[in-house]
Amino acid sequence: MKRSVLVIGAVSLVTSGLVGGAVFAQAKKYDMVTVVKITGINWFNRMEQGVKKFATDTKMNATQTGPAQADAAQQAAIIEDLIARRPAAIAVVPFSPETLEPVLKKAMDRGIVVVTHEASNQKNTMWDVEAFDNTAFGARLMDRLSKCMGGSGKYAVFVGSLTSKTHNEWADGGINRQKAAYKGMQMVATKQETYDDADKAYERAKEILRAYPDIKGFQGSASTDVAGIGRAIEEAGLAGKTCVYGTSLPSIAGKYLDTGAVDGIGFWDPADAGYVMNKVAQMVLDGKKITNGMNLGIKGYNKVSVKGKVITGQAFVDVDKSNYKQYPF
Amino acid sequence: MRLPHLDPYLRFLLLANLVIVLFAALRSGGTFVGIDNLQSMATQLPELGLLALAVMLAMISGGGGIDLSVVATANLAAITAGLTSRALFSADEQATAFTLTFVAVALLVGAACGFLNGLLVSGLRFAPILATLGTLQVYTGVAIVLTSGTAVIGFGDGLTELGGGTLLGLPYPMWVFLIVAALLAFVLGRTRFGLRLYLMGTNAKAAHFAGIRTRTIVLATYTLSGLLAATSGILFAARANSAKADYGSSYLLIAILIAVMGGVNPSGGFGRVLSLVLAAVALQFVSSTMNLLSLSNFLKDFTWGLLLLLSVVLTNSTFRWWTSRPRKEVNAGT
Repeated sequence: MKRSVLVIGAVSLVTSGLVGGAVFAQAKKYDMVTVVKITGINWFNRMEQGVKKFATDTKMNATQTGPAQADAAQQAAIIEDLIARRPAAIAVVPFSPETLEPVLKKAMDRGIVVVTHEASNQKNTMWDVEAFDNTAFGARLMDRLSKCMGGSGKYAVFVGSLTSKTHNEWADGGINRQKAAYKGMQMVATKQETYDDADKAYERAKEILRAYPDIKGFQGSASTDVAGIGRAIEEAGLAGKTCVYGTSLPSIAGKYLDTGAVDGIGFWDPADAGYVMNKVAQMVLDGKKITNGMNLGIKGYNKVSVKGKVITGQAFVDVDKSNYKQYPF
Repeated sequence: MRLPHLDPYLRFLLLANLVIVLFAALRSGGTFVGIDNLQSMATQLPELGLLALAVMLAMISGGGGIDLSVVATANLAAITAGLTSRALFSADEQATAFTLTFVAVALLVGAACGFLNGLLVSGLRFAPILATLGTLQVYTGVAIVLTSGTAVIGFGDGLTELGGGTLLGLPYPMWVFLIVAALLAFVLGRTRFGLRLYLMGTNAKAAHFAGIRTRTIVLATYTLSGLLAATSGILFAARANSAKADYGSSYLLIAILIAVMGGVNPSGGFGRVLSLVLAAVALQFVSSTMNLLSLSNFLKDFTWGLLLLLSVVLTNSTFRWWTSRPRKEVNAGT
């Protein structure tokens, strides 16, 4: 009897597949998939809102997917599977651009439009969308950090991974600005790797606080960095004595901004980036040209600069305790 | 239908695969069984399959045998191989020499990593889970120091062809996997070494008193695990045209899951290559189905977990209706 239950289960599963398949067949104009580094974190949830908005605005079948664990291997596997599905376009935020080169090449060889984000060194892409010049953004964070620190003292720099090109450009942009303009400040240790994980950032921050009790500043890169640093600062009771700036989102850093453990954050809106990536892909599909100074119709991307395959906007967002609530994500 | 020599694991896995394939093929409107998707799956599966085979060997050896260092070994092998071959040859102009050196160095490093695990387990009597957890950190650490965490890039046409090319419609990684799996099945099922390994895994003391040199067997088993992991590392590198210390970092648990779902006994003495291959296939089917149907990757993890639990429940001897079926049918048939 139990066996028959199993058989019925299997049959009903297959039948539901049949019915579902029929619904799927009503495809919209273009099938466009955005593949992010990892699903289920605020940053990429916000990006998904942008992708969905694009889908609503343009009636395209635009969706977002990504691995459940941050792992280059899994992201490559997802793209590999997508190629078999033959979407018109794939927009990717690579976890590690180098390891995706062969699979993105394969996608392009099969006639799929490939657009990337946060990967200005990607070879196998048609366009790479950057919210802003990364070096300028890093320098901007350093300007704010230095102002808070009064231009002197020790600071540490965190990155999600040493292989993430953008994170390192922000970090280096900040470090170079400090070396050029704020000679009273000294960076301690090397760039700390946090694997885009708040707990790792917390551990690293505690280690730094132990090794350098007189540390005065932190610059974070992954969206989770300042949250981890903020937690360590709060626990050490140093909220008023240290300055913490980094890339993050109000939803991640908000409570630390309130307590003063984190002093300010900078970011770009991932929803806009997701929207623009898909918009660019659609333009390629429609055979439209993308030119220097062009308006892509989204704030911060009204006058993009185009160099080679890289499209750069000016979508900076600077936020502190006073105004973070204006950005509900 | 009479299926007398199928053990419960094989029966469960065959049924699971059948259900998934039917569901996926219908739901995807045929894309699932299209050549593109089949090739895509056949390219992805071997890396994980080889890692699972490596874990399986350590598990069969008993005494809490497990190899947690497989992914670290794979990456270290690929990274050292990449660095060595790049130092000696030009990837583009001397592709053959480059590829051969790459493969040789990777296998050598993999064997060395496995040998060290074996030494810790058999010589120093470390619990395998601790020994290989330690070497997991050590191998990853060495890989990060060698590369400062960046990727080693550009392995030339020879390796990219191995990663992306096909022979008779079947991707090269799948050929590698099938050949290695067949060899391993032969070694386990038809050689003295295999027999002794199973005996030792079932009862190490009895095996020892029966005159089997258990230390040597353990050493050989972990070395073989290292070799399998390195083979996986070669495929990592070939597919990504790069090697990186954190590549496939989420694969360790998946490899263990495949091994256990394939009926490998974590306390030693039992494990079949064929079941493991089917378990790997089932997971790959689920994974690709989710991606084809744009379902969440969390649902994929959930389904994998569910499959494992189902396999544990349905292959458990308390479920008589399921496990005793072949015996009844044999009786009925005679």
